[in-house]
Amino acid sequence: MASINHQASALKTGQVVLLVLLYIFLYFPLLFITYDSFVHNIIWPFPPEWTLEWYQKLLGMSDFHAGLKNSFYIGLFTAIPATLFSTAAVIGLLKYRTRWRGGMILLYISPLFVPGLLIGISTLMFNANVMGMSGKLISAIIANTTEDIAFSFLVILAQLVRYDWRMDEAAMVFGATPAQVFWEVTLPTIWPAILGSFLVSFILAFNNLEISYYNLGAIPTLPTIAWGSLRHGIKPELFALATVINMLVFTAIAGLFFLIQTGMVRFGYRGE
Amino acid sequence: MAVKQFLHSKDLKALALSLPGALFIIFFLFLPLATIVIYSFWRTESYTMIADWNLNNYLTILTTKTYLTFLFRSLAMSLAVSFISLVYSWPVAYYIAKYGGRYRLILTMLTAAPFFTGILLRVTAMQQILGPIGVVNMFLSNIGLKPLHLLMYSHYATALGLIYLWIPFMVLAIYLSLLTFDFKLLDAAMINGASPLRAFWEVTLPLNWIGTCIGLALVFIPTFAATITPKFLGGVNGALYGNILAHQFGSTGTWALGSAMGVLMFTISSLFVFIVFKTVNLNRSGYTGQIAGE
Amino acid sequence: MDTNKFLYFFKDMQTSSYALQLVEVEKQFGDVRAVDNVSLEVKKGEFFALLGPSGSGKTTLLRIIAGLESAGKGSVFIGGKNVTQNPPYARGIGMVFQDFLLFPHKTVGENIAFPLKMKKMSPTHQQEQLNWVLDLVRMKGYEDRFPNQLSGGQKQRVALARGLVARPDILLLDEPLANLDRELRKEMEVEMRRFQAEIDIPFVYVTHNQEEALTLSNRIAVMKDGHFEQVGDKLELYDEPKTAFVASFLGLNNTISGEVLRQENDFSFIDWKGIELKIPTPNGIKPGDRIAYYLRSEKMHINPLGKNTPVDGSIVLAARLRDIIFKGQYSDYFVILDNDEEMVISDVPDIESLKIGGKVDVSWLPSSGFSFAADGEE
Repeated sequence: MASINHQASALKTGQVVLLVLLYIFLYFPLLFITYDSFVHNIIWPFPPEWTLEWYQKLLGMSDFHAGLKNSFYIGLFTAIPATLFSTAAVIGLLKYRTRWRGGMILLYISPLFVPGLLIGISTLMFNANVMGMSGKLISAIIANTTEDIAFSFLVILAQLVRYDWRMDEAAMVFGATPAQVFWEVTLPTIWPAILGSFLVSFILAFNNLEISYYNLGAIPTLPTIAWGSLRHGIKPELFALATVINMLVFTAIAGLFFLIQTGMVRFGYRGE
Repeated sequence: MAVKQFLHSKDLKALALSLPGALFIIFFLFLPLATIVIYSFWRTESYTMIADWNLNNYLTILTTKTYLTFLFRSLAMSLAVSFISLVYSWPVAYYIAKYGGRYRLILTMLTAAPFFTGILLRVTAMQQILGPIGVVNMFLSNIGLKPLHLLMYSHYATALGLIYLWIPFMVLAIYLSLLTFDFKLLDAAMINGASPLRAFWEVTLPLNWIGTCIGLALVFIPTFAATITPKFLGGVNGALYGNILAHQFGSTGTWALGSAMGVLMFTISSLFVFIVFKTVNLNRSGYTGQIAGE
Repeated sequence: MDTNKFLYFFKDMQTSSYALQLVEVEKQFGDVRAVDNVSLEVKKGEFFALLGPSGSGKTTLLRIIAGLESAGKGSVFIGGKNVTQNPPYARGIGMVFQDFLLFPHKTVGENIAFPLKMKKMSPTHQQEQLNWVLDLVRMKGYEDRFPNQLSGGQKQRVALARGLVARPDILLLDEPLANLDRELRKEMEVEMRRFQAEIDIPFVYVTHNQEEALTLSNRIAVMKDGHFEQVGDKLELYDEPKTAFVASFLGLNNTISGEVLRQENDFSFIDWKGIELKIPTPNGIKPGDRIAYYLRSEKMHINPLGKNTPVDGSIVLAARLRDIIFKGQYSDYFVILDNDEEMVISDVPDIESLKIGGKVDVSWLPSSGFSFAADGEE
């Protein structure tokens, strides 16, 4: 009965509306592009004239295969060190109480507060003038790693704050060496978090433009190819590209999510 | 003795594990940033940097009307985008945190997922929606209305694009903060005479203020540095500070000036973050510094 | 229903003598009826306890009074006014929660003054009230501390102070002592009675702990499955439980049940696993029915075998002493009777003659206990 209920449910409904609108706002452009990538009449695709020409054009784009390969390399070789560094750091900082903890955490998160543009130009100049290696894949990889360490760190941190380190102590009481503890106790519990952070780093580096652009010179990656052709007006091949990338990202996230559901990990989800 | 103690101490173990990454960040992030600070005081001539220490770069930026215009434009844009994101994100994050139940994870991941498609493709998608021959305007002309000039190639389009890009960060920051918030405190507030709005202002917002500040920082910083979004959505007159900065690293090769612009950008962003976090009073934030198992 | 509504409206004008009144309140959660047609009146100055096991609906009832849940049916009157439609912040009540729920980002002073601030009271007036209540709960000088700097007992006092500072019409307490350790709880029980007596605001106190209810309250309502089993003065409930549930909940720790063999005058003789016992007859019981008889351990006596000097009419049974738990002023004796049933007797400690394993006599007067129809309900 009661106005108590009316007020509460009015607020709740309002929030739901805003949430739904947000999802529409976020996904409509992407979904529309996906739809558009399969039609010929891209400007007003109703009714649709189905075609795969854009995908063919995409594959035929010069540099496409090179770009794909390079993006993949950047993604992979960024994700590996980023994940390794951040996993070690999170375990070290959470397991062992130290007065360096606060400072270290801030340090690892600091890349988030430097915009990609700045990372790009600063590493460009640093590599060019100080290190003498500009326009190489490795410089892009390094630059991406600095940013992705931060993301990686947060993903793993979010999971590990809930980990009870006394389990490790218990394992040691029962005779496990530190290596065994990690392998038998810690890792089985946290591996989805590690996988998640790997995926996050990979995707971010794969898709990155601003950081990579400045460090690559003429080396093509998918984003730089897209950038190049965009400057000459919208090319529908890019819709095909976007769709492909979206599919990959979606599959990766869905896969991870599925793992979480069947596994034991909850990223910041606290069952009530 | 003390050395031996240290060798087995927790300090050492923590350091051993966290030092590699830390050194990496220091060497490959901080050091480059330091170099652009140095370069900002130098001069460029024929595509080479000359160590001729001077303040000309800064003077140029701060006294030339054009540069200042772009600076203030970006500032205004960033503040507006941050504020709008803040106001919109709160009810959304609140709903997911309080009422999401076991769907909380999916709902949050759904807000975060678009982020991974990469800036360029998202902006492209936005352009296809908002542009002069974008869906919105085509839809309007199909039903006989005039296209919305406001939406195409304007600062409004850029703002919309920037919100589109960065709002997931704000939602996530507030949501994560709300996860550790005891909603029962609101029962106590209401019993003691606070209406829902009052309860939000007196209890919910203060106890989640740190999360809110983090969200503000995470939105302001990339917005202030935006280049791609204004380039593709802002139209001919849509350039922002970031574009001018990027330009220095293009054909003109004026790296020294670009460095100075970069330093200035970083300073202003940091100033914003500093001011925002100055409002945080740890005593009044519900922060206990405790982690599970301690 | 209409006549009732009119009567209650009429009563409304006269109920200013009641601090709290519930009229036929009901609340359903899906299939479960959490609160089942509950009516209640609490006068000013009363200390009223809602006693019941978990799931009895007592917390739901409290939340309905507070306005945190809405009643499916029925009305709530506070201070004579019908507040059924009012949100919690418009009911003029105070509440103390089990986990205190102090605002971690506000000082003790700000926490306590919160309801006054919501009322837009002037700062000077606020300070006056704050001083008064700090004095009452003996927390003067703690105004500038933060909740995370306080001990459990101190937090509880602050929570209490916050509940009382605005001089509400009633104070609701939801198992406030449940999170305190035993020593502290005993202390706070005494303190609470003192507070309530000093300020004359009625307390409505929810608990599952019968000892707490008996120590603190004037009147108790025993709740089961959403309804009141019995409401009355605490001594009344203690000495005259009306149902088996109330009896067992109020600490009658010996249960005897058996089939009625024969009856004489007001007594029935039942077969308790082979022992024949004389028990007062409950209403409507005939031979062949089952009776459950509840007996307090304090009303029994224990002596070494053969050394009994029972009062006329007592039942005396032989038993073996299994265990003794020393409780200071008395001891709990656990015995096993010849029919393998166990009983507890609380009697004066006697280390000399009563030893574990030894044979003893236990005795009691049949009228000391309470009998109810067994009904297969246990």
